[in-house]
This record gives sequence, C-alpha cells and structure tokens, in this order.
Amino acid sequence: MITVRSVSKSFGNIDAVKNVSFTIDKGEIFGILGPNGAGKSTIVNILNTLVKADKGDVIIDGVNTKNDGDTLKLMMGVVPQEIALYEELSAYENMMFWGGLYNIPKPELKMNVNKTLEIVDLVNRKNDRIKTFSGGMKRRVNIACALLHNPRILVLDEPTVGVDPQNRNHIFEVIERLNNEGMTIIYTTHYMEEAERFCDKIAIIDVGRIIAQGTLKELREISDVRDLLTIKLADVNSETINRLTSENPLLRFDNASGSLKVECGNINNDIQIIMNHVQNAGGVIERIYTQGTNLESIYLKLTGKELRD
Amino acid sequence: MFKLFKKDLTLFFHDQRSVILTFLLPVILITLFAFAYGSIGAYNGRSEPVKLLVSDLDQTRSSKEIIYKIDSLEDIRVILSDSIKCKELVIKGKYPCALIIYKGFQDSLEAGKATPVELVYDRSREMEIGILQQNLISTLMSSTGEIIVKKSIEKYLHDQFPDIDKSASDNILKTAIIQDNNKLEIKWTSIVGIKNNIKLGMIQAVAGTAILMLLFSMAGVGTSILEEKENGTINRLLYSPLKGSTILYGKMLFAFFISILQLTVMFLFAWLIFNMDLSINIPALILMIIATAFAVSSLGIFLAALAKTRRQAQNLSTIIILIMSAIGGSMIPLFIMPAILQKIALLSVNYWGIQGFYDIFWRTLPLEAILPKILILMSIGVFLTLASIRLFKKRIMKL
Repeated sequence: MITVRSVSKSFGNIDAVKNVSFTIDKGEIFGILGPNGAGKSTIVNILNTLVKADKGDVIIDGVNTKNDGDTLKLMMGVVPQEIALYEELSAYENMMFWGGLYNIPKPELKMNVNKTLEIVDLVNRKNDRIKTFSGGMKRRVNIACALLHNPRILVLDEPTVGVDPQNRNHIFEVIERLNNEGMTIIYTTHYMEEAERFCDKIAIIDVGRIIAQGTLKELREISDVRDLLTIKLADVNSETINRLTSENPLLRFDNASGSLKVECGNINNDIQIIMNHVQNAGGVIERIYTQGTNLESIYLKLTGKELRD
Repeated sequence: MFKLFKKDLTLFFHDQRSVILTFLLPVILITLFAFAYGSIGAYNGRSEPVKLLVSDLDQTRSSKEIIYKIDSLEDIRVILSDSIKCKELVIKGKYPCALIIYKGFQDSLEAGKATPVELVYDRSREMEIGILQQNLISTLMSSTGEIIVKKSIEKYLHDQFPDIDKSASDNILKTAIIQDNNKLEIKWTSIVGIKNNIKLGMIQAVAGTAILMLLFSMAGVGTSILEEKENGTINRLLYSPLKGSTILYGKMLFAFFISILQLTVMFLFAWLIFNMDLSINIPALILMIIATAFAVSSLGIFLAALAKTRRQAQNLSTIIILIMSAIGGSMIPLFIMPAILQKIALLSVNYWGIQGFYDIFWRTLPLEAILPKILILMSIGVFLTLASIRLFKKRIMKL
C-alpha cells in the first residue's frame, strides 16, 4: 500500500532523513521508532506531502505523492505531535471545523463527529471547551480530529507524549480498534513498549537513517540479541565456579554480584539444562533472574545507546 | 477561506479579553480624549472664556474704561482682586495670569509715556495665555490709543481754539475717534468647521484613538498566525487539502472584517454619546472606514510576517505602532507638531486615516476631494498585503 523508496531530505546542512526505504502493507501497523530529532516527524511530513523529499519516491496506493498530493491528503489522517486544537472552542466545534476542511457535507460530518466522539469516549464532554480538558483527553480529541474524513491511512506522530497511563491505554484501544476495522496505521514513537505492543513492523531510525526494520522477531534475528539468565549462588565456592566456567565457556562469573550469567538463544528451552549443569557441579542456587529479548535491548545493540525521553 | 474566517470569528467572540481590548478599551480612550481635546476647534461661544484676574491700583476713569472693555470681550472674563492676591492665585495655579494696572496709568497715558501695566502669568498654561494675548493686546492697543488720540485732539483744540464751544469740541472728538477706529478694523471669520456642530477635538479623539487601537487589534490578529504556527494548528491546517495561501487569505479576511467592525463601533459610539453627526457624507465615511480598515489590517499582518516568533512580533508591533501613532497624529494632534514631524507623518497610516476623517467631519469636503486619501490608504493596503504573502510563504508556511 505504501512504498517509500530511497527518500532523503536535508534542511540546510542537516540531513534530516537519509536514504530511507520501507514498505507498509494494507491494514498493518507500522512503527517508526527513534529518539527525538531522529527524523520521524520529517518522514511523516514527507508522507503527507507537506515536505518535499529532495530525493526518492513515496508511492501510496500506486500514486506518487509528487504527482497528486491533494488526493493523498484525502486518503490520510494525520495526528500531529502537538495538541493542534483551538483551546477556546469546544471539542465538538473543533471537530466540526477540522472535519469541515475536507468538504464533507454537513449532515455526514455531524454523523462522523458523533461517531468519532464515541470512539474516543468523549461524548459527555463534547460541548466543553478544550482548555478545560486534561492532557490525555486533549490527545484523544487530537486523534479524533484526524478521523473525521474517514481516512484509509492514519499517521500518528508520538500520540502519547505526556499522557498518563490510563489515557495512554485508552489511546491504544482506539488505535487497535481502528486497525481491526482495516485502517493502515503509521505510528511514530520513542516509547519501546508502545512499538512492541501493537506494531506489526518496526523501523528503527537514528540520525535520519533506518538502522533496521522488520517484525520484532526479524529485528531480534538481525540484532542477534540473546536472552540473559542470571543465577545467584548461595555459596560462592571458587572451585565450583572454576569447574563450571571451564566446562561451559558460555557461563561467566560476575564478581560484583556473585552471580553466574549466561546468554541463551531461547531462555525457555535452555533454563533447565543450565540449572542441572550448575547443580551437578555442586553449585547451590539461591535465586534465578531472566531477561528476555525486547526492543530496548535490540535498540541498544543496534545503536549502541539507550532510547530516552 | 470562509471556514477559517468563521472559526477565527468564533474564537474572537469566545475570548472575552480580545473583545474588551477591541471595543471597550478604545471606547474608554475615545471618551477620555474627547474630554481632553473637546474644546479644540469649538465653534463661537461654545468654549469656556479664559478667566483674567485684574488688579486696578490706578482707580481712574481710563483704567476702569479699559477693564470694562476687556470684560466685554467674548473670550475673557475679568475677576477683580488686589495685586498681592492676584499674584498668589497665579502662583497657586488657580488662574493662568493676572493683569496689574499700576498707579499713574492714566497720567502716563495722558502724558504719552509708557503705561505701568504688567501681565503676570504661569508659563505652563501657554494655550490659555495665547488666547488672552490675542484679545488683550488688541483691546489694550485700541483703548489706550483712543485715550491718547482724544487727549492730543483736546490739547490741540484748547491751544489753537481756546474759545471753541464745548458741544462742538465733543463732536469733533467723537468723529475723529470713530474715523480713527474704523481705519484698522480686521474682520475675523472662521470658514472651516462651521457647517457642522462637530468639534475638531472630537474628530481628533475619535479618529486618532480608533486608528491607534485598531493598529493594536490588528497586530494581535497578525500575531495569532505565529501563535497558530507555534501551537501546531498551522501545520494541521496544511495537512488538510487547504493551500497555504488560503490560510493566509482567511486570516486577512478576518482581520479586515474586525477592523471594519471596530471602526464602525467607534464612530457609532461617538454618534450615540457625543452627538457626532455621521450623516455629513455617508458614502465618504463608508469608503474611508473600508480603506482605513484595509490599510491597518494589512499592516497588522505585515508586522507579524516580519517576525519569526510571536514574542518578536509583539515587541516589533508595539514599537512600530507607538512610533507611527505618535508621529501620525493619533496621540497628539498633528497641527501642534513641528513642521518636520508633520512631513514625516506622511509615512504613517495614521496620518492618512485621520486626515481623511478630518476632511469628512471638519473640512466637510466632497467625496472627490477625499478620494486621493482613500486611494493612498488602499494602495498601502495592497502593497503590504502582497509583501505579507511573500514573507509568509517564505517564513511561516515553511516547515
């Protein structure tokens, strides 16, 4: 449905996006993961034809964005990173205004507004001014305003920044509901757990370049990040430690914590074998910690840095 | 474009502070300035006469005659007092000046010597002194001149015709003095602002203040574009099928509409509260309101287009508006400014607007005579609009 091919964009001397390529299938949730300033918003603006790429092509449903930006704008709903609403207007007035820009007949627009208010669960606050809303509620209206013209593609640019966990879950439910109804979703975030939770495919972006992309499983394979098993011994006996580490070179002893550590391909399969091995060598296990492969560890492995707010 | 206009209008009326600043504040200022400038240009007999303290230490027929003549003047009211109290009252600021006629006044007159008369005054009240100067000097000159002429003729008749009959002597004197007075009489006739009952000060207060406040309101509208850029709504508008130019035209339409509304409300207020006759030249008034609104709203948008941030726009607008209003005649009537400033004033929107309204209400000129000012305002509007579009495309709409 969406093909981005070798897209580059510079602002002065700064390469905001460099040689970016990816494809998104219909009905997919595609996550773009990266720290602030990585180029996520630039990609969103290129997709929406707001920013012209210096190089490369963006093809959506067979239409090149260079040729027919207006049609593509009708196809796409964009939720900006900022809460781009008029604080002095009510939720309903805001939605009528933003929806009205797409030349939807008024009765149909009213219907869409009411339906969307239900989706974001704000029917009972629809006549209240935005300035009286909490941050999370504003975020929900921000999303609602992008849905009124029934877009086939929804682009969400960091939609949960500064949102409390309850409202965040609410937003996730909305996204999952829209996706279940067949909407293609592009989701930019710097929160790993969000990308991990519902993205079918993830592109990891750093300093304007895509470092890796694919499903979580594919990313795990690409990054070669393994699960980590930590075994805390009740009695640290140097003879036992030496025997264990010499017999199994994958095992290493961490003096600081007094624990044995081992990286495994699949922690569920390997845990019993390793426990038996330690016990057979005379080791007494006090406690076991497991750390599975997640996006954070993949990101750390691929970029060499942690992803922070 | 109309959707954007409607949205801005709704936002405007939802924001009570904006409404107060746009309508209530100018109304208060117009009222204040109307009282401050109220007497300027008042038509005959409608301004308060200047009070003149007089101390007559001579107490002669001549001094009393002069005091009577001064008191009979339309613009001066004489209040008699002793000389010490007169000076004291001027020092305390109760009166602008006092005329002291010292002992020996009549004798000096008759002897043809310098008359012992002194005007003590407060320099800070020069406007009142100016009115006095004009009337007092001419009255003193004519009165003292009359006495001197009379004494000279009396002396001549007495010396040359010692036996002349008393009634014949009086007739000669009467004829001579009347003929003498008739020689230098100048008739003063005001020919501007007499066709209507509007004071010049009132026009200055309404037009000057309305344009000044309009500039501030429009700078606010212009700044709101930068506010929209900062809070992300401009980008969101650009995500929609709207074109960047449409967004700008929508803002301009809103600014233009609010300008017309604000000016109209200001003139209606002046009509309702100060009985300012708006029916003098309705077509010219409508065109002047439209032209002024267009020029001022374009300037507001242009000032915003010059700035990169809202804060920058606010500071820039305040400085430019205050300077332009000071030299353009919004704050101080132009006619009391030095000639050089009156020339610089031509560069301001305020000047053309205020002068246009003067032409309508004070000079009561026909529409053809006011059209050049209307065209200049429209040209300013067109130029600033084109410049704003260019700047906005380059700065504001650029992501």
